[in-house]
Amino acid sequence: MVENYAILPCNGLDKCAGVISRELAIKLCENAHNEIICPVYSRVAEKKYNKIAGEHSLLVIDGCQTRCASKLAAEKNLKISRKVTITEEAKNHNIELGNNLRLQENENGLIEIILNGLNTEDKVTPFSDEINVEYNFKYKTYQNGKFIFRVPENPEVYFNENDCWAYVIGNRARIGVTDFVQQNLSDILFFAPPEIGAEIDQFGEAGEIESSKSVFELISPVSGKVISINETLLQTPELVNENPYELGWIAELELTGFESDKELLIGFGKYFEIMKKKVEDLNG
Amino acid sequence: MSLTTFMGVERDKIDWSPTIDYTKCDYCMECVNFCPHKVFEVRENEEIKLIIRNPDNCVVFCRACSKICGPDALSFPDKNATTQRIKEIRKEETNG
Ligand code: SF4
Ligand code: SF4
Repeated sequence: MVENYAILPCNGLDKCAGVISRELAIKLCENAHNEIICPVYSRVAEKKYNKIAGEHSLLVIDGCQTRCASKLAAEKNLKISRKVTITEEAKNHNIELGNNLRLQENENGLIEIILNGLNTEDKVTPFSDEINVEYNFKYKTYQNGKFIFRVPENPEVYFNENDCWAYVIGNRARIGVTDFVQQNLSDILFFAPPEIGAEIDQFGEAGEIESSKSVFELISPVSGKVISINETLLQTPELVNENPYELGWIAELELTGFESDKELLIGFGKYFEIMKKKVEDLNG
Repeated sequence: MSLTTFMGVERDKIDWSPTIDYTKCDYCMECVNFCPHKVFEVRENEEIKLIIRNPDNCVVFCRACSKICGPDALSFPDKNATTQRIKEIRKEETNG
């Protein structure tokens, strides 16, 4: 249920998806006790909206991937608790959006679907981990200017060249991003987890983290089924900045093809060299 | 300079970079500003104002720019086919 939220829609008036974001925000406020933050008025009425945002969790509705509403939230230092992107929802539900700025049947249908989804989705099934696994990271660090990059040197930790790691124990792995990603993104403001139960291919998408600078899609080093996600990150995504290996892990997978996945993974030594080179290239 | 090999395979043997659908692209240039790898090139005075200039600079398996493209104009090769191809090339090279 979306109740007691501050709702920030992109409200883009020249695009169908923007108009949908507005309509969805209105509907959310009609049906429950939620407050709208008007993106245009917020430019001049900062005080008023900071108060509303301070008293509520924030739901951001972006029309399209330009993410104007998310960017506005980042600019104003508002923490996003939930997020909807209209064009993405349309894609997921196979709904073709028109160019018309007046909502038609398809668009209204989509709004209903999103509303239903939003009002049921917080019943996330909690994961009960019967096996108590310990992850003990040992690091080597590399410093470039004021930036310090830690890389775990445990032999159980594998990397891909997309700066993601997998700590493999038995038939399970915990996955996440490396310090290289976290340093490049700087302050992480939002975490979109992969779906529990989803089957992910090697190099498939396994969630996203987002800063005001950029979006990073985690590219899973291993194939497997998502058995848990780091729920703490939903409220405190900045833990990824603090330590992307320990408190900032992303998800746990039950492995489905590790023997063959391994062929295309690298260990600490190689990754450390590749990462060093990337950092040097970036800093010219 | 970007890496010239990916997973031990020469980068130019791997087909991975965005394709621009010009019927959808509105030249907002979000992708250009987003990607730090100089994959795109802006051509102000041409009819086609944006091209893929350096496909081999694109990070294999990255698809990040397609996520920020409003009109959904960027597409990529099939990931599994690419993974298979990389494995094949590695085999050929160790055998040959
Ligand atoms: S982000 Fe998409 S629409 Fe904008 S210039 Fe790039 S390809 Fe074109
Ligand atoms: S996929 Fe990634 S590396 Fe390639 S052009 Fe897009 S943002 Fe740049």
